[in-house]
Amino acid sequence: MTHLPYIIASYGLAFGLALFLSVGAALRLRRDRARLAALECARGRRDRVTRRGETA
Amino acid sequence: MKRKTRRLWLVIACVGALGGAAALTLSAFSSNIQLFMTPSQIDAKPPPADRTVRLGGMVVAGSVKQERKGDTPINRFEVTDGQSAVTVSFEGILPDLFREGQSVVAVGSMVPGGGFVASEVLAKHDETYMPKEVAEALQKSGKWDPKFGPPPNAASWNAMTQKEASAAVQGK
Amino acid sequence: MSATPTLTERAGALFHRYANPGRFLRLGVKLQPWLTWPALILSLTGLVWGLFFSPADWQQGDSVRIMYVHVPCAWLASSGYFALAVCSVLSLVWRHPLADLAAVEIGPVGACITATCLATGSLWGKPMWGTWWVWDARLTSVLVLFFLYLGHIALIRAFDDPQRGYRAAAILALAGAVDLPIIKFSVQWWNTLHQPDSIGLRGAPTMSHAMLWPLLVCTLGFTLGFAAIVVARLRAGVMESRIRSLLSGQHRGEPSPADGTPVGEYAA
Repeated sequence: MTHLPYIIASYGLAFGLALFLSVGAALRLRRDRARLAALECARGRRDRVTRRGETA
Repeated sequence: MKRKTRRLWLVIACVGALGGAAALTLSAFSSNIQLFMTPSQIDAKPPPADRTVRLGGMVVAGSVKQERKGDTPINRFEVTDGQSAVTVSFEGILPDLFREGQSVVAVGSMVPGGGFVASEVLAKHDETYMPKEVAEALQKSGKWDPKFGPPPNAASWNAMTQKEASAAVQGK
Repeated sequence: MSATPTLTERAGALFHRYANPGRFLRLGVKLQPWLTWPALILSLTGLVWGLFFSPADWQQGDSVRIMYVHVPCAWLASSGYFALAVCSVLSLVWRHPLADLAAVEIGPVGACITATCLATGSLWGKPMWGTWWVWDARLTSVLVLFFLYLGHIALIRAFDDPQRGYRAAAILALAGAVDLPIIKFSVQWWNTLHQPDSIGLRGAPTMSHAMLWPLLVCTLGFTLGFAAIVVARLRAGVMESRIRSLLSGQHRGEPSPADGTPVGEYAA
């Protein structure tokens, strides 16, 4: 392998990019799912509270 | 809903106009987009000595001569496009892919009476990707000599495995 | 207005079936594993094949192995931009909300791929051609593509009103699509240091099958990977837009969002 450093650098770049993009996407999905679940949960509670308030 | 059809036509018209404009611009500046001049272009219209140009073509088989001045090699070779040839001299180490029959691009200028003096030589490689064994088999069979031009029609060799190629080389 | 729907209307109806964010989220959750795992398996297979089990080139030696990274990235850089242009048409003509969100997410992924294409090309050019960079038509047009991606990323986020950003970025993406045929044909129209294409629709590939197969496997793997990452980001993007509308109080007091996706469906 005469030009090994160049080959290693290329494959390293590809792996680095794949890791960066996929980990980034996975973290973003997880964070958004949690935030959305929390928000909808809070809204659900609020809705129940308002409804109880109306019947009382 | 009529608005959407109108928007669609507007988009098509804009893209068409833009494409046309780009095509006209590119064809007008086509000679400036070329990376290099060919030897026959240089012969027909030699550039002034103080202008740096790029010369591209194939290294003529048997034309490469190397001398040494101290540590640095001085290379002389001819570059051709099949119609005319220009002698290039270059002081320095040639790239790995440099060989007779290879396409190269030399950066430098024409020196009156001295041919083309290059400050940099770049090697092109063609679109042919071939295992070493297959290249050897093709050369052994006499179908191809890399010094004199591109390899034969790809369909005749691209399915050849390395094993078949090695066997063909050994068989001869 | 006539009773029979025009072609544009019918196309619009078809696109809008998939414009519903809730429907996309459900589809995305199902689609994701079918993209992610094949992408992972094919890319790894292709790269290991290319690195260890494919032959060295007769003149380039082992450096030819950079091709298995560089060429799929180059193809994806162009096809990713084509996808961006398609999203732009959907956005400009049909005001497709999902296409806008998709354009936001494709941009950065495409820019990363194009940067990798340029970097691996440099790493290939230095040992083979003898230079990191040359201003030939192929290399320059791909650099322009990279800047188009960067411009799109900046423009789509530049306005306070996201709708204006979507419009402006869609126009930029469509105008930039002129660069795609230039990239493709640059090596035929002008003389370049970059070699012409080895694989085309006309004629046999000028590449040994022992190199062609790992290249195709890598390309398929990278393409699925691109799709997997874009789908994942788009799912996140759709959720973020819903979070924004929830926070801005648009839905306050409403019993459920218009598309009625229950919370449980976000869990993949």
